[in-house]
Amino acid sequence: MIRVAFDIGGTFTDFVLHDGNSGSSHFLKIPSTPDDPGRAVLAGLESLFQAADIEAGDVASILHATTVATNAVLERKGAPTGLITTEGFRDVLIIGRQKRYETYDLYIAKPEPLVPRRHIVEVGERLDNDGAVVSPLDMASVDRAIDALLASDRQTVAVSLLHAYANPAHEQAIRARIEERAPELSVSLSSDVAPKFREYERTNTTAANAYIKPIVERYIEGLQDALRQRGYDRDLFIMQSSGGLVSPAIAKDYPIRIIESGPAAGVLMGGIVGKAQGREHVITFDMGGTTAKLGAVDGGAPAIMPTFEIDHVRYKKGSGLPINVPAVELLEIGAGGGSIARVEMGMIAVGPDSAGAAPGPICYGQGGTLPTITDANLVLGYLDPDWFNGGAMALDKDAAARGIMRDIGEPLDLEPGAAAWGIHLVATMNMENALRIVSVEQGRDPRRYAMIAFGGAGPLHAARLARSVGIPEVIVPFGAGVGSAIGLLQAAPRIDVSTTRVMLLDANAGPAIAQVYAELEERAQKDIAQFDNAAPPQWSRHGYMRYAGQGFEVQVPLPDGPIEGDFGARAMEAFNAAYLQKHKFLDPDARIEAVDWTLVATLPSGQEGAVIGQAHALDTPRRSGSRLAWFPEAGGYVETQIVDRQALANGATITGPAIIEDPDSTTVVLPGDVARISGPGHLIIDIAREAAP
Amino acid sequence: MSGTTVDPITLTVIWNTLMSIAEELGTTLRNTAFSEGVREGDDFATAIFDRTGRLIAQGNFSPGHLGSMPACVQHAIDYFPPETLRPGDSILLNDSFMCSGHFPDTFQVMPIFVDDALVGYVACSAHQVDMGGAAPGSQKVHGVTESFQEGLRILPVRFVRGGAIDEDILRLVLGNVRMPDKVRGDLLAQHTANLSAAARLQQLFREHGDETLATAYEIILDRSEAAMREALAVVPAGTYSFDDCMDDYGPDTAPIKIAVDVTFDGVGAVELDFSRSSDVVPAAINSYINYTRAYAIFAIKVFCDALQPQTAGSMRPITVTAREGSFFNPAFPAPSGGRAILQIRIFDAINGAIAQALPHRAMGAFAHWSNPNIGGISDETGRPFVMYDLSLAGYGGRQGKDGVEALSPVMNCSNIPVEVHETHNPVRVRRLEFIPDTGGAGQWRGGCGLRKDIELLNSTAVLSHLGDRHRFQPYGLFGGEPGALGETLLNPNGNAQPLHSKGMYDLKQGDVVSFRLSGAGGYGPVADRDRAAIAQDLADGYVTDEGAMNDYGWEPAAE
Repeated sequence: MIRVAFDIGGTFTDFVLHDGNSGSSHFLKIPSTPDDPGRAVLAGLESLFQAADIEAGDVASILHATTVATNAVLERKGAPTGLITTEGFRDVLIIGRQKRYETYDLYIAKPEPLVPRRHIVEVGERLDNDGAVVSPLDMASVDRAIDALLASDRQTVAVSLLHAYANPAHEQAIRARIEERAPELSVSLSSDVAPKFREYERTNTTAANAYIKPIVERYIEGLQDALRQRGYDRDLFIMQSSGGLVSPAIAKDYPIRIIESGPAAGVLMGGIVGKAQGREHVITFDMGGTTAKLGAVDGGAPAIMPTFEIDHVRYKKGSGLPINVPAVELLEIGAGGGSIARVEMGMIAVGPDSAGAAPGPICYGQGGTLPTITDANLVLGYLDPDWFNGGAMALDKDAAARGIMRDIGEPLDLEPGAAAWGIHLVATMNMENALRIVSVEQGRDPRRYAMIAFGGAGPLHAARLARSVGIPEVIVPFGAGVGSAIGLLQAAPRIDVSTTRVMLLDANAGPAIAQVYAELEERAQKDIAQFDNAAPPQWSRHGYMRYAGQGFEVQVPLPDGPIEGDFGARAMEAFNAAYLQKHKFLDPDARIEAVDWTLVATLPSGQEGAVIGQAHALDTPRRSGSRLAWFPEAGGYVETQIVDRQALANGATITGPAIIEDPDSTTVVLPGDVARISGPGHLIIDIAREAAP
Repeated sequence: MSGTTVDPITLTVIWNTLMSIAEELGTTLRNTAFSEGVREGDDFATAIFDRTGRLIAQGNFSPGHLGSMPACVQHAIDYFPPETLRPGDSILLNDSFMCSGHFPDTFQVMPIFVDDALVGYVACSAHQVDMGGAAPGSQKVHGVTESFQEGLRILPVRFVRGGAIDEDILRLVLGNVRMPDKVRGDLLAQHTANLSAAARLQQLFREHGDETLATAYEIILDRSEAAMREALAVVPAGTYSFDDCMDDYGPDTAPIKIAVDVTFDGVGAVELDFSRSSDVVPAAINSYINYTRAYAIFAIKVFCDALQPQTAGSMRPITVTAREGSFFNPAFPAPSGGRAILQIRIFDAINGAIAQALPHRAMGAFAHWSNPNIGGISDETGRPFVMYDLSLAGYGGRQGKDGVEALSPVMNCSNIPVEVHETHNPVRVRRLEFIPDTGGAGQWRGGCGLRKDIELLNSTAVLSHLGDRHRFQPYGLFGGEPGALGETLLNPNGNAQPLHSKGMYDLKQGDVVSFRLSGAGGYGPVADRDRAAIAQDLADGYVTDEGAMNDYGWEPAAE
């Protein structure tokens, strides 16, 4: 069976074509076409089909990750949106949670709400927290609200009423009325999109869904048309933020679920590569031009968070818009190749300001004047000025060195190498702080994890970063340059449903929990029915629980199988295990309170475990020889061997210091570390020194 | 490496590691804490000290604990001189005068040893849910006339000895607080967080050596001092004064004068003197000098040096004084549990003074917040409940920008969702919305006040109100109008009865309390407001037709 995956990013569109029969793969990376993303898709498919010598009709399914939903929010280019809410609560969306993301800065602004106040209208109604009707829905007020939204040319409407997570009846009645009166309006209900308590987060999530719905709808339909014209009319699947695939119909109804589509595929790829190497626990480290992203896979499953933020300011927690749908756990910080270095108080500081792709680092020669991490890596000898991106671009090393001396070296009285090393080191420390948050602070012992490094700059920084927290092994995957697309190939269709039901757990909680899951399963089955899939789904359940009185819940995996009489006790045991792992202590006297419940249905794709290695790679010039590169362990610049990654494919090992190059990434091997290529084709680095976690 | 210099790269590494340790200590504490103050309000602090107790690095958490921490650690060292300390010890204290001005904030100071030599301290504080005393939460204002009504006072004690918590001390503490499980959990969380920081600090000393660290510390202190002096030297020399008033400290009491004289010497030092303010009051809102200093330093940082690291060095050029026995420098046992309400006013006063020197950095006064508690015994469960609430409204206008709507001022807190309150307490929130026309008019308008109506569903409960700006409006600047007064009404839709901003009231089922926060102050001449901005405000309903007419002479037909 032949399948094709593509990931449309801001800069590049990545493709993988995989033939399940022969096990062979074809990779492709071409510039994205943001004005009409489908153009790059069709062009890419064309060359892939040629390279593989197949017809469109030979392809069994197409898998897709996209940034279209994210960009619509980031650039505030959604459709004109209105919001209907409960009388008296017009300002929930604008008030938000009110905390500053910088305690010492009183000049900050809040994120711009997706719906301006003038387009927020109220209806008469009220539910209580059990879903009981306190005041019935006033249909006259609904009609007035619809009139107001139509008068102001809204194309899409979010409906978010207080406590609608506990009873969707009023929201559904409003939708029915809108469909009757204005069928052209797109409608999103909070009780469908994100039925969990905390009104601001639920309302914002629903507003965001409404805001991007017309955009994503047009996009998916355009893509389907383009594929049909090219002769392809079989399955198209889209990656969700939670790392599972979904049908175009569901993505169009709930576009908010595909916001973190690409990054989710990246973490998934990390899990796949880890599995191929016998590693169940991995940290994914994806470092590109402006940011570094860290994710985790625990026991073979990508770590999922019930909520995330979009549109951060300076990567500060709490500065963005909260989105209440599950997404892979990702920590993003402002450390990428383009991050700018400077001197502050006689010390070196790096990022989060970035020269980005334009003007870019000084060494690109495209107008950048401020020294960046990439400039430092060039001066350190880690990058080859004549072989960046496989020779696609020549780098100006002298200009980089001059910029580093002007801004860092001279003010601090350092030689170029030492100044560049300082930049590299500070960048590593910034990432180490983020890595500690993802690992140690989450109860993950770094010594049990492998690091999967990808992205343009990931493999270059990975070994030192791993060493700093005691991760014993770095894996630079085969096809690191198109990593997210590879992740798509092994994803399975997945439906996530969740709800809020606050309850104190005791041994008798079983029936109440069974009731919650009966409702969740009913909701999930509706979505599952959209898949043409004979095999029964695999179910998994999680509770979000805490000690009564705490404000943060821990994610608790709940037992599989029927929910019977002892389930309350088993859920409490599960909480104890999860809490202990995260916080290292238990309070046997405190009561346990469950807040949110989730159910995940995974539909077998038949592709789990497909091997991606042994691809046809284009012939590349053989890289070998040596150059000067900076290793403080060796006292500064030392003659360092340069190795073509393919030269290791015969089972050879190499001991650092060394630099391993292939067309889409450069890997630095530290003195004493040992690198080799594994059976599935991944580059493995054994980190020599045991650092304390 | 010699003892007199550290190369810039090593220095950078040491500094980044210190900051990382202080931050990580805080995230650990926040994630395991029970108290709302810690987890929602970041009402805690973390810091690293050298062996003489000088502040070297701190996490960016509560400003209120921040300025208090150095004094607190010095007091701990006074009680336990270095020669009396052993590895595995930790000191606990919460005294209002020694620490951050009220009992719920417990501080733990842990000496750090490397090879049996004392190399410094790590410390953290946390706002506990309760420390005993007259009312749940230990912050009752009205009717509390001396500290002994406010709960358990802990002078420095060796809470942890040889790595083991002193169970006798713990029992003594827990026997005097309302929610002993939670207090115990938070005390343990503080200790655990300190332990993890201690381990990383020891590792740093082992990697770089005592001598290098000592030198690095001196460099960090000197440079942060120089950076602060440089920022302060920019401000024109002179004394800038400002007077404002708090409504009072309870029903039928007199206003409290808040007066500050801020003197910049023009070469890098500043003195803030609160001596002209009122005397100490017989209610629990007095501000001990550590607390006064903490928020004065916060204000100076905001105006001059917001994102620079705070160390003993950066605090050297800042002197905070207040007459002994005054409201801002009382002596024990002055009651102080509810002093949090002062932080916004300390900032407002300094802002009003500095506006004269740095007009482009100042803003109109904040809308005031409100911190009511509604508590009783739940009819349904038979257990006590407390609806602890925070209402936060707008910022004042500033040069070039209208005031931000509904953002936490000074203290950095989240609000509590309506759906969470209604799930846990027998109340129903009837309204939560901006009040139009309340933001002070001006070239740049102040943010709006906020209205929150809460209905009691339980048979009875008691409301302890803590608000302000019901009598004295939030001021405007440079021709901007003040924000509208706040008010609190019982049963606004029937026989509305005004409630006092700091009173205690019995409520019965069906009562609705309407909390209406003041608006924030405007900035710049009203006549200079852009007509398009008025039109936008009208479209969004922040201003009504009538308000626009009264404030700006807006005539709909003519525009």
